[in-house]
Amino acid sequence: MPHITNVMICTCTNCISNSALDIRDSLESEIKRRELEDDVLVVPTGASGLCVNGPILIVQPEGIFYQHLKTKDIPNLVEEHFLKGRPVKSLMYVPPGQDSPIPELRSIPFFKDQRLIALRNRGLIDPDSIDEYIARDGYKALAKVVTSMKPEAVIKEISDSGLRGRGGAGFPTGRKWESRRKDPRTPKYVVCNADEGDPGAFMDRSIIEADPHSVIEGMAIGAYAVGASSGYVYLRMEYPLAVKRMQLSIEKAREYGLLGEDILGLGFDFDLQIFKGAGAFVCGETTALVASIEGKIPEPRQRPPRTTLWEKPVVINNVETWANVPVIVNWGAKWFSQIGTETSKGTKVFSLAGNINNAGLVEVPMGITLREIVYNIGGGIPKGKQFKAVQTGGPSGGFIPASLLDLRVDYEQLDAAGSMMGSGGMVVMDENTCMVEMARYFVDFTNDESCGKCTSCREGSLALLQILQRICRGEGREGDVELLEELAEAIKDASQCGLGQSLSNPVLSSLKHFREEYEEHVKNKRCPAGVCKALITFDIDKEKCTGCRLCAKKCPQDAITGEAKEPHVIDQEKCIKCGVCVDVCKFEAVSIT
Amino acid sequence: MIQKASDKVGAVLVVGGGVGGMQASLDLAESGYKVYLVEKAPSIGGVMAQLDKTFPTNDCAMCTLAPRMVDCGRHPDIEKLIYSEIESIEGEVGNFKVSIRKKARSVDPDKCTGCGECVAHCLVRNIVYMDRPGREPVQMEESMRVKVDDILDSYRGGPEIIVPILHDVNEEFNWLPPEALLRIAEVKEIPIEHILRIASFYNAFSLTPKGKHVIRVCTGTACYVKGAQRILDTFARELSVDVGGVTEDGQFSLETVNCVGCCGQSPVITVDEDIYGYVNQTMAQDLLGKYT
Repeated sequence: MPHITNVMICTCTNCISNSALDIRDSLESEIKRRELEDDVLVVPTGASGLCVNGPILIVQPEGIFYQHLKTKDIPNLVEEHFLKGRPVKSLMYVPPGQDSPIPELRSIPFFKDQRLIALRNRGLIDPDSIDEYIARDGYKALAKVVTSMKPEAVIKEISDSGLRGRGGAGFPTGRKWESRRKDPRTPKYVVCNADEGDPGAFMDRSIIEADPHSVIEGMAIGAYAVGASSGYVYLRMEYPLAVKRMQLSIEKAREYGLLGEDILGLGFDFDLQIFKGAGAFVCGETTALVASIEGKIPEPRQRPPRTTLWEKPVVINNVETWANVPVIVNWGAKWFSQIGTETSKGTKVFSLAGNINNAGLVEVPMGITLREIVYNIGGGIPKGKQFKAVQTGGPSGGFIPASLLDLRVDYEQLDAAGSMMGSGGMVVMDENTCMVEMARYFVDFTNDESCGKCTSCREGSLALLQILQRICRGEGREGDVELLEELAEAIKDASQCGLGQSLSNPVLSSLKHFREEYEEHVKNKRCPAGVCKALITFDIDKEKCTGCRLCAKKCPQDAITGEAKEPHVIDQEKCIKCGVCVDVCKFEAVSIT
Repeated sequence: MIQKASDKVGAVLVVGGGVGGMQASLDLAESGYKVYLVEKAPSIGGVMAQLDKTFPTNDCAMCTLAPRMVDCGRHPDIEKLIYSEIESIEGEVGNFKVSIRKKARSVDPDKCTGCGECVAHCLVRNIVYMDRPGREPVQMEESMRVKVDDILDSYRGGPEIIVPILHDVNEEFNWLPPEALLRIAEVKEIPIEHILRIASFYNAFSLTPKGKHVIRVCTGTACYVKGAQRILDTFARELSVDVGGVTEDGQFSLETVNCVGCCGQSPVITVDEDIYGYVNQTMAQDLLGKYT
């Protein structure tokens, strides 16, 4: 007999880091203790989206959303909700700045404005269960193409849908498949690029952790369309849970005859294996990725000629692109192409992070404005601070300032604003973020990750970094800003691969939109955001300080002195500007100038 | 020696066709001298042609060499005497007589296009390449050898197995001991130089031993915006260790990681397999107590 109530507990890496597994265990034992095991079923699922409020629990079929759970809440929750039928208000979501909670998931603004295609199964199925995937129309699309469609027809369907690569560059997927199909060399390969190196991006991890079979099915359809018989999933080693779930799902699919030889008994062979990356950002670049699989030094090379794997044709698509494929096959190109803008069809998954209330994973139709994402879905900036910029596209992207918040999100618009779609990382920054320091951060990252092949990228990023470092140290010279600009343009022109060509984007876009902040650092030796250590001092406001002694106790340098209940003072000689005092002060008495 | 100006020939012999010899020949030819360039190998280019990059600027060797080779090859005033050796030199400054033995090449240089088909089809050359002198067997502890060999046994194939093997070895020992790398090279017949390049290219592999617990502070953008640098500074201060280093007692390694994809709970750190979200400086101090 089916269970009356299903309790979906999020077991993504995010929630596990907040002891979601302990909560699952105590939930199960509590349900058993109350003899509810015939009525209530606990289902572990992938990320439900609102990661910042984890661990998360959704009670179906009502769709009641519980958040910020702790193990000690569970006995009360089980008794109240499952035994007495009274949902627990204190564990529900309360919108920022409001008092009354919203019980149902579908009424929460964060979820209301989203449109789920790639994430269609998130929070609804157990990712380790292939049966649950199949119950949600899983592998129906694969069966459809193998039984009733010619490969050319599949490619036409994908082309007509207008699907473009979700890895960032936005190359039309149908056109990519078509060219590999026509390539006479065999065998052919399909590869899923899950080397999600952009810091601040976790879409690919979440898709694989929540719904690994959607990627496997997409790849199998792609393999059928181009005529490939084997494939790789290139997965980052920093995502151990995703590796584990992918491995298990591949084995399950083989067991069900959906991978391997003679799929569905129709003579189509396709098998898949995982290639675990080893922590090199540049391996997300396709030519470096195939070199890595081949066991060569993963340095990118000039294109054309087109990327090949062991000198054979290969289709490399991003996780999200593959996850879109089964839906397009099931629902048709016409349906898919109605969503989105003229040039960018469908939806895009973004990972919303940084200084934002509802950090998490969102899937929205292309063409939505940044303002809608940040304020309606994201719930605005915490602590009532000012929005300063949103950074998209990772280290290859740029900063978009408040004046461009009404920008419609698609490939072309983001490019025009000096940023890029990238894989979909979206980091929101508030007034306390220093743009010069952020530019330094990204250049430091790319300088570290540059493979060292091209001089312009290797030496150029180092030169950029040195200039930015001295500006942040307060040693910026007259003309540094102009030099940065010139150098950044030169690196863009002279580098071979995407990493080098785009590494100056953070510098150029911050110069474009926040030039006065650079000038302030160089000319007046001031950091307006209060970040650059060399340019700031910490002071205690005598009016606000209550003399609680908390900061004095926590200060690692013993630089804060003062009698109890009297205003304290910071010894500027001893202060190392670590900021502990700001963190611990409950009265906002520590100011940064 | 006294110069006899009247006997000057106006031609120069350059011995050795490496990058130095080629540059000298080009400079001389450009100054109007007739140059004879003698090289004992079957081609000009020398050792530099075998290098990838040059010290200390890391410039691409071929980028320096190739233009000079082409110029030398085309220059009408440079006569290349390739695959040749000097037998004797007589005379004095300004007027030497040199006899050169040109070895039998059995290839007509005027017709040869350098396609390389003959090399690929030559049976004798392949025999020479197979007779490599053996290396000394790798010395290592028996327990380590068993572990490494177990890992190596589970992989078959060409160079593509190297990254998975290094993953396993790194996981087993928490770093890549030099003996283990030499053993991989020995058993799988992959040059140790290639293994070292791969091992040093990827961040996941360590060529130095690590602490018992590895603390990784995520410095992805989301964590950075929310103060990851200060968390990192706190750990460095509390453990008195630099980022990338190991504490004196060998208990902790402190590292950064680019992004663990837990941006929803930033700032995030990982200690060994455990992930901690919403870390602040006070919590960082408390966390260390849990692992000591």
